[in-house]
Amino acid sequence: MIMSEKCKQHVDSCRFCWMCHHICPVGNATGQERNTARARALGISLVNREAIDLSEIMDNIYECCTCGACVHDCVTGWDPVMFTKETRLQAALEDKLPPYINKLLDNCLETGNAYGETKLCDRLKAAIDNHSAKTDTLFYIGVDARYMACEQALKAIKVMEKSGAVFTVLADEPASGGQLDFLIGAANETRDQMAACAKVLDEYKTVVVYDPADSKTIKQLYKEYGIETAAKVMTYTAYLADAVESGKLSAAKSEKTVSVQDPYQLARDLEETEELRKIVSAFAEVKELHLNRAETVWAGNVLMAQYMPEIIDLVAKRRIFNATSLDIKTIVTACVGEYIALKSVAQSDVEILSLEDLIVG
Amino acid sequence: MQIQMNEFLFSMILTEIEDAVGVENCSTRTIDKVTHSVDYYWLSRMWADRGCRMPEADIVVCPKDATEVSKLLKIANYYKLPVTTWGAGGGTQGGAIPVCGGIILDTKRMNQIYEVNTEGMYIECGTGAIYKHIEWAANEVGKATMHYPSSLTCSTVGGFLAHRGIGVCSTKYGKIDDMVLQMEVVLPNGDIINTASAPKHAAGPDLNQIFIGSEGTLGVITKAQIRIFDQPEERRFRGFLFQDMHGAFQASRELLQKFKPSVMRLYDEAETSSLIKKIVGVERKGAFMNIAIEGCKEMVEVEEKILLSTFAKYGAEDLGSEYGEKWWKEKITFFYPGHMMDIPQMFGTMDTIAPYNKIEEIYWAMKEAIETNFPQAKFIAHFSHWYEWGAMVYDRFIVEGKDVPEDPVEALRLHQAIWTCGVRAALAHGGVVNDHHGVGIKLGRLMKEQYGPAMQVFEGLKKQLDPNGIMNPFKLGL
Repeated sequence: MIMSEKCKQHVDSCRFCWMCHHICPVGNATGQERNTARARALGISLVNREAIDLSEIMDNIYECCTCGACVHDCVTGWDPVMFTKETRLQAALEDKLPPYINKLLDNCLETGNAYGETKLCDRLKAAIDNHSAKTDTLFYIGVDARYMACEQALKAIKVMEKSGAVFTVLADEPASGGQLDFLIGAANETRDQMAACAKVLDEYKTVVVYDPADSKTIKQLYKEYGIETAAKVMTYTAYLADAVESGKLSAAKSEKTVSVQDPYQLARDLEETEELRKIVSAFAEVKELHLNRAETVWAGNVLMAQYMPEIIDLVAKRRIFNATSLDIKTIVTACVGEYIALKSVAQSDVEILSLEDLIVG
Repeated sequence: MQIQMNEFLFSMILTEIEDAVGVENCSTRTIDKVTHSVDYYWLSRMWADRGCRMPEADIVVCPKDATEVSKLLKIANYYKLPVTTWGAGGGTQGGAIPVCGGIILDTKRMNQIYEVNTEGMYIECGTGAIYKHIEWAANEVGKATMHYPSSLTCSTVGGFLAHRGIGVCSTKYGKIDDMVLQMEVVLPNGDIINTASAPKHAAGPDLNQIFIGSEGTLGVITKAQIRIFDQPEERRFRGFLFQDMHGAFQASRELLQKFKPSVMRLYDEAETSSLIKKIVGVERKGAFMNIAIEGCKEMVEVEEKILLSTFAKYGAEDLGSEYGEKWWKEKITFFYPGHMMDIPQMFGTMDTIAPYNKIEEIYWAMKEAIETNFPQAKFIAHFSHWYEWGAMVYDRFIVEGKDVPEDPVEALRLHQAIWTCGVRAALAHGGVVNDHHGVGIKLGRLMKEQYGPAMQVFEGLKKQLDPNGIMNPFKLGL
């Protein structure tokens, strides 16, 4: 397998290191030894040594959610996410992707989203139409909310309205490229999709990005891909935190005690943790989950649920277990993927709220 | 009767196992078999590094509790299939490698934390729980397990029990075998048993201690009650520099007759000038020693005074608290790639233990044996677990560059030869085969040399409990 020297070095360091064994949200949920950074590195190293075929490890390569918990944990700075994504790219180039990934990939290339969806729900379409006029601020919703969580997208628009913002929402919002980056890494197709999106964003002074996955893509990955955006890009949470601070967004604080589920993209990749707390604490008391902020534990997403739904259920259940063991009754999410994953497995002993649920009910 | 495996029979057995534990908990996929074929043992790593496949299991099975383990062992016994228990694969002795194929029994689905009992001061958990996770559970109620080995994050409760692990605070809080109240064990015939409800009793020999350290050769430990402790009110560190190792031993022995620190680590000159210099920043020549004292504040005050006066008597230079605190902060950093020895180096840790009247002699004998017979090997050591009666030497050999054979079989032969030489030197001077990493496949051949006719006690247990010899064959010299 063709692999960069940098990745080979990381692979050969991680293949015999167990130190982050405890931290993988997938591994902890499944109890499977293969769901560890060292197992993936070992598999890749054996492919590099021609002891096994690339196709024999690809299912496992796609069980990684790329949340970076292992990267964050490593004191030496080894990066399992980097070599996992490079292996995905190489498998794409060698035509060794699993069929279920090929299907998602084809969808991304054809429709801009891995789900192959093209039609918005009517109510969302109407809400977007209300904000079709060109303004200085673009509210970028992202494919997960647009196609898989219409209610949350509607509520997010309501929250933006409640904050007094004047903003535009695009009916034909371009894909950020985040899903392609997850599926096949730094391929030309990924770069092209990102560049096309950046071009649209450049038409606005400010872009408020709803989904943390898109925030990471636009604020961090674009730079890595050498794509520049002239617009000021803000995370939704940073925008709302400012609105809370300036008094534009307010409400009577309830007596509810809630915990926040930090999206890893915000907490680890963008190093943004306090904004979410600033917003939530304006509406309720905050009790911290075990493993919070940069140590947050990923709780699932929509994309991976397309091909490994049972594992996503296990991941979400484990995060809920983390909460209930601390007698936490309510978890507030700031990522639509985590909201969907947690909500779908939550029992009556724990309530899952999105940030929008908390603010506009 | 030794069965002749064939595709038809294998498929039949697989369906039977799938019926017992669930299809989704059985795997014959390459990635699972490969993943469970390489543990932290240098030879397995070297083998994989050379592009060779280690012996692999035929089936990887993940039962969720003792009942499923019981069903699995009954099937394995009927077909006489080898069963190798796997925790998290962090063992250094090859104890979890399925050298005879058969079944890998991965325990990590048995990761439940059943109870955190702050009155009885224990956590009851499945043995597949990663130890760091039970530490987190203890921390959530203001307690701690006080079992802090470098492998805290990468080993299971069962893994530590299987090979008698130890943590850096062992002098005050004990080894893993001191930290267990009660265990649930599945015997090779599938019977589920419980050990006595308390670890100290006069109800015959201690069943806990028969299974702890048995490395999966006598059964599978499926549940354990692990002790927890109050968090110390105060923890203080003090670094010292000794100009000779003998003085350090004298000082430490005297100190331990007075009280027990939690951490005690003495590094020889070679390790002080390499690892300690690199990670902790001690630039001076000599033998660095780090001591931690902890507990109630008033006790710590008194103990610190005793420590300073005792060590001063033996010429120890007081380096203050800075290096010790740095060491505590970085105690696991030592073991990350880039800091720790790694392939292509050849290395091994030949830890042994003995009373004070023998341990220094053992250190010098092992050093001489390795350096004389294998001049290409560097020898470094530290002493990291101390008792009122003796201490453990953690001595390591390192071979680098062209002195490491490229051919895997040649590399295996050199590795084996160095190990045999070092451990025999320890045995000849009153040491034991191993202190806290276990025996595995690596040192099984030396068990008979240590125990002589006493080995028949282990062999008798094995024969009675596992007459078909299916449990982790060729490990522990059984």
